[in-house]
Amino acid sequence: MKNELNVRCIMSKDALPVTGSEQAVYALIDIKPKSGIISGAMAANFALVLDRSGSMDGEKMANMKEAVGYVLDHLSDHDLVSITIFDDQVETLASNQVAQNRDRIKANVESVIARGGTQISDGLRAGLKEAMKGYARERVNRILLLTDGRTWDDEDASLTLADEAGKQSIAITSIGIGDDWNEKLLLQIAERSRGNSHWIQNPISILDAFRQEVDGMQTVAAANLKVTIHMHPGVQPIKIYTTVPMIADVTHKAVKNGIVAADLGTLDGARGQTILLEARVPAEKAGRFRLGEVEVSYDIPTESFKAQKSRTDLFVTFTEDAATATKVNAEVMNLVEKVSAFKLQTRALTEAEAGNIAAATQKLQAAATVFLNLGEDELAETAEKEILGLKKTGSLSSMGTKKLEYGTRKLTQTMK
Amino acid sequence: MKCKECQMENIEGALFCEECGAKLDEMRELVEIAAEGGNTNIVLAASDGSRLEIPAKDEVIIGREDPISEVFPDVDLTSLGGMEKGVSRKHAVIHRSGTDFTVEDMGSTNGTYVNRKRIQPHAPQTIKPGDEVKFGKLSLSVKAA
Repeated sequence: MKNELNVRCIMSKDALPVTGSEQAVYALIDIKPKSGIISGAMAANFALVLDRSGSMDGEKMANMKEAVGYVLDHLSDHDLVSITIFDDQVETLASNQVAQNRDRIKANVESVIARGGTQISDGLRAGLKEAMKGYARERVNRILLLTDGRTWDDEDASLTLADEAGKQSIAITSIGIGDDWNEKLLLQIAERSRGNSHWIQNPISILDAFRQEVDGMQTVAAANLKVTIHMHPGVQPIKIYTTVPMIADVTHKAVKNGIVAADLGTLDGARGQTILLEARVPAEKAGRFRLGEVEVSYDIPTESFKAQKSRTDLFVTFTEDAATATKVNAEVMNLVEKVSAFKLQTRALTEAEAGNIAAATQKLQAAATVFLNLGEDELAETAEKEILGLKKTGSLSSMGTKKLEYGTRKLTQTMK
Repeated sequence: MKCKECQMENIEGALFCEECGAKLDEMRELVEIAAEGGNTNIVLAASDGSRLEIPAKDEVIIGREDPISEVFPDVDLTSLGGMEKGVSRKHAVIHRSGTDFTVEDMGSTNGTYVNRKRIQPHAPQTIKPGDEVKFGKLSLSVKAA
């Protein structure tokens, strides 16, 4: 059997104390391509879904057009591309095709004029249809959705489309420009389809976001990545988080009947994927204990490898030696701390949305402390400002919410 | 396990309080535990004998610290004459994958060289103990930690 990926499994503690009661344990599962694997040889199937509502007029529209030009110039001739634009009406500027008629497509994009309102689901539906035309398991199938406004009463329809895209292994990268858009919706669209999300404050950064997306597609090392963890009887998975491209709680989708089965989509060749599993282990006597088996399956279409499997066991040792059991792995500790900050922030925002100001303030204060511990001074400052705002006005600012939502999800990105 | 900050009762073994995020169990000792299959670290050694540790993380940024631009690479080459020798602020990144290491030039002005050959920007190149890596004009040897 070929084994093209490195799978590292690190427990929070190699040794757990014998306590006579159940305990929490964390496992970091890190997946990276081996150095011989060539990333980026997979062809892309890229659908752009772009907002042309009236508020896009001016700098945003100009930068968006330039960014589309960059995409067209940097896709290979064998990549597929489509361009859908939407306001409260939808137009397909380029139906799914090989990325060769660059000048004609650019001319079509150049002629776009900002107008109308924002109806995201209509644009997304048409874009998904275009992506489906070119869908192939061997391609990197992706939609890029860009908007600067709030959609009109079609959030649920947009999320249903994101679910559909996710089922088809078409990841949606959602990009919001400015501060008048619904970050919760765009983040959910990305999370449900196993995509990424960006917040752009300055239109000049649209090009960077598009460039990042093209680079990301061109460094994919493996597709149809799945992680299954068969737990030993008595070991209960509690939570599972993915951390690339951003921290996401995938427990609801991935944990069923004590088995963890997470669909992770594509594997970024440079960054890989890191998963954090939180589990409860039963009381055990001293000795080595097998928590479960991690199975990673994947395709490498360029090598015609399908459903390759890599397996690793998760072990801990129960010990009567208290000193040995105090040793905690620093790498796991650091990741758990980042996820802890993400959880606190999420709960703070949920409480604030429900009007529970005291609880929201308390959670935000706790999150601010964790941000400081992590050296994330800017996020800590944002949290402090929002606490003051909450006390004064009873609500969070749009800008502050976006900073916190995006900042905490991207705490695991080492390259800023 | 009771949180000292908020008094919330957490499950034994929890690292952070579920309620307030405070660290639990201050008695613990942080260690670098080798992953399954072993884990070898490398260092970068300069001609003056100084050794730069490569932190135990998957992506390590090599460059030149610049507080004004808020650039703080993981491995700062300023003290080795990075500025004079043309090291960019974010010059390269060393990726670790298990026991394998690669170096990737981040589009630096003066380039990155492995064994005297300039590598393409954003194309990771395998490195191992015994190799010579040059960032701009600053030459370093890869050694086992």
